[in-house]
Amino acid sequence: MSPAPLTAREANLIGCRLCHLLIPMPKEPGHCPRCGARLHQRQPNSIARSWALLIAAMILYLPANLLPITISSSLGTSQSDTILSGVLYLLNSGSWAIALVIFVASLFVPLMKMVILVFLLVSVHRRSRWRPKDRTRLYRLTELVGRWSMVDIYVVTIMVALVRLGALANVDAGPGAAYFAAVVILTMFAAESFDPRLIWDRMEDCDE
Amino acid sequence: MSEELSRYDRMEELPEAEIKPKMGFSIVWLIPILALVIGGWLVYKAWSEKGPVVTLTLKSAEGLEAGKTKVKYKDVDIGQVEEISLSEDISTVIVKLQMQDGAESFLTDRTRFWVVRARVAAGKVSGLGTIFSGAYIGIDPVKEGKPTLEFVGLEEPPLVTTDTPGRLFTLKAAGLGSLDIGSPVYYREIEVGQVVQYGFDESGRAVDIKIFIQTPHDRQVTDNTRFWNASGIDMSLDATGIKVDTQSLISIMLGGIAFDDGSDPLAAEPAAENTAFPLYANKDETTKENYTNQNYFLIYFNQSVRGLSVGSPVEFRGIKLGEVIDIHAVVDDKTRVFRIPVTVAIKPERIHGFGAAAKSTREDLRKYVDRGFRAVLRSGNLVTGQLFVDLDFFPDDPPRELTFEGTYPVIPSRTTEIKEITESIAEIVKKFEKIPIDEIGADLQRTILATTATMNRIERLAGRFDAETVPAMTEALESLRSTLADLEAGLGSDSPVNFQLREALGDFSEMTRSLRGLTDYLERHPESLIFGKEGDQP
Ligand SMILES: [Zn+2]
Repeated sequence: MSPAPLTAREANLIGCRLCHLLIPMPKEPGHCPRCGARLHQRQPNSIARSWALLIAAMILYLPANLLPITISSSLGTSQSDTILSGVLYLLNSGSWAIALVIFVASLFVPLMKMVILVFLLVSVHRRSRWRPKDRTRLYRLTELVGRWSMVDIYVVTIMVALVRLGALANVDAGPGAAYFAAVVILTMFAAESFDPRLIWDRMEDCDE
Repeated sequence: MSEELSRYDRMEELPEAEIKPKMGFSIVWLIPILALVIGGWLVYKAWSEKGPVVTLTLKSAEGLEAGKTKVKYKDVDIGQVEEISLSEDISTVIVKLQMQDGAESFLTDRTRFWVVRARVAAGKVSGLGTIFSGAYIGIDPVKEGKPTLEFVGLEEPPLVTTDTPGRLFTLKAAGLGSLDIGSPVYYREIEVGQVVQYGFDESGRAVDIKIFIQTPHDRQVTDNTRFWNASGIDMSLDATGIKVDTQSLISIMLGGIAFDDGSDPLAAEPAAENTAFPLYANKDETTKENYTNQNYFLIYFNQSVRGLSVGSPVEFRGIKLGEVIDIHAVVDDKTRVFRIPVTVAIKPERIHGFGAAAKSTREDLRKYVDRGFRAVLRSGNLVTGQLFVDLDFFPDDPPRELTFEGTYPVIPSRTTEIKEITESIAEIVKKFEKIPIDEIGADLQRTILATTATMNRIERLAGRFDAETVPAMTEALESLRSTLADLEAGLGSDSPVNFQLREALGDFSEMTRSLRGLTDYLERHPESLIFGKEGDQP
């Protein structure tokens, strides 16, 4: 096994998060002398913050899926659709491709994001040494794919803006849309808060 | 490379970090707490606003959709269809309705549910809005009654909901005729009610028609009110010309019922709800002695019924109430006792106040029997020996119980003493004896002699009369005959007046038939009101 490369921490150095200025490790947490940003060895409270945002997202995931996301009315009858009933409607009407996109973007991706983040957080807690490279890859995936779960909100927004035919046909955003948006934003922040360096720290612990 | 190394060597020159005190509790935990509060509030709201779930049994779920079809009262959503399934024997449809919070107060056993769809009935188009909005479930909430959550849906929307004031009455008829649910009920040619229901009566051989009469017109219905079938046209030809009697054009097409309050001051009180009345075929029938209600009773007489036959009258203090319809002898298998049941039919309408069938219950009859109501055989004709059944009150008679043989009430009988009959015969004979037959004979002879003399005088007078009067009379007769001949020519069977009249009546009946055809077509194809008649489309 080749010797592990020298890390900034081992060299007793700290990098500024904003201007990337390299500074010797201070005795107490301090601020970057160049841009004034706070200096941290690792993102502070990374795990607690991730957990907080993730739990909030998981709580709001329920109303986001149970409450109607769109309320469409035509010729006097109003129909409210949740994400799942919309997917089922599309599937029944034969537009299985659109149904698949909506299902992946609105149901599968947020759920997978939450599951992956829970898995990563639990693995860091347990000081797991299991495949750090794959776990980092998973983390990158959640960050990358996260913004795509906004598809549903875009669709609803565009529909609400476009279908305004008065009594003939009308589409309104349901209360579920707000919760859905909150879930997407909270999972994005939760992923952002998670410091992937924590995955590698455990590897160093074991080397010592 | 050397540059980097040199920068690395200059590590000592790196700037120093500024030191600031550390922050305390991370406020990021406020976010999940807020999410928890919102989630908890949503759960509480959903739970607290959840009303009762109603199970509704329907014949068909046509037009209903789970999660979409609403329950509406006065066009306000008060619930929604949650689930539609078939019953275990797949004969009915079970619909689960999620009602709104607070619906418990009007979910009682008198509350009715039905499906509102577009339909054409009794000349009225209803539920047109449902063509676009889809069917919904209507409700007639009633707060009084036992609370329940299981209902059987009506097949047709009720024409009368509980919030319409008025009263229901039952009409007993031999057949339904052209009446239908929704057929109008007229009082003095004004529509005051509707037929709301019909079906066979308990015997299964006659028809009970339920009508609803709106307040305040329901007060015009008294025990003496006569109802008649006002369907079609009643035409009569008399000295004043042709008289056409009809309630309205609607009643010609759809049938109708009319009523009139009887002029009897005895029954001025409004009749009770659900009182049964006979339905007469037409207005003329109401004035005839025609009674549709027949109550059957059995009477056992402990004496010979010789002289009593089928058709013998049944009287109450001299008023004929009915007649004997069957007499035969039966012997009990075990006791070997011979009995003679006499079946009588009584038309209770002959007695005011007793006529309403709903009023003369078994309880009432029991009270009458307690007060001494008995049947007695009496002699109606001394010469032929014919008997009749007399009903009367004998308060001194030993108490008897009202019994039942099958469904027939048994009226207790009282044995007529033969003495009673013989006594009355003796009385009559005595009266006969008192007649002075000899004197009458002498008087008669004298009268005959006087009459003969008078006759002779009249004969002479007639001779003179003939000679003077007859020619003039013949002349008068001649002129009368010629007048009649003229009249015959004008009004006879081949006359133009008659021909035109017949043609007019023919045209009228043809019009009636085509109107009926139109309503039939509309009933089968209500959509033709909007899309036109099939085949007319290009
Ligand atoms: Zn900096």
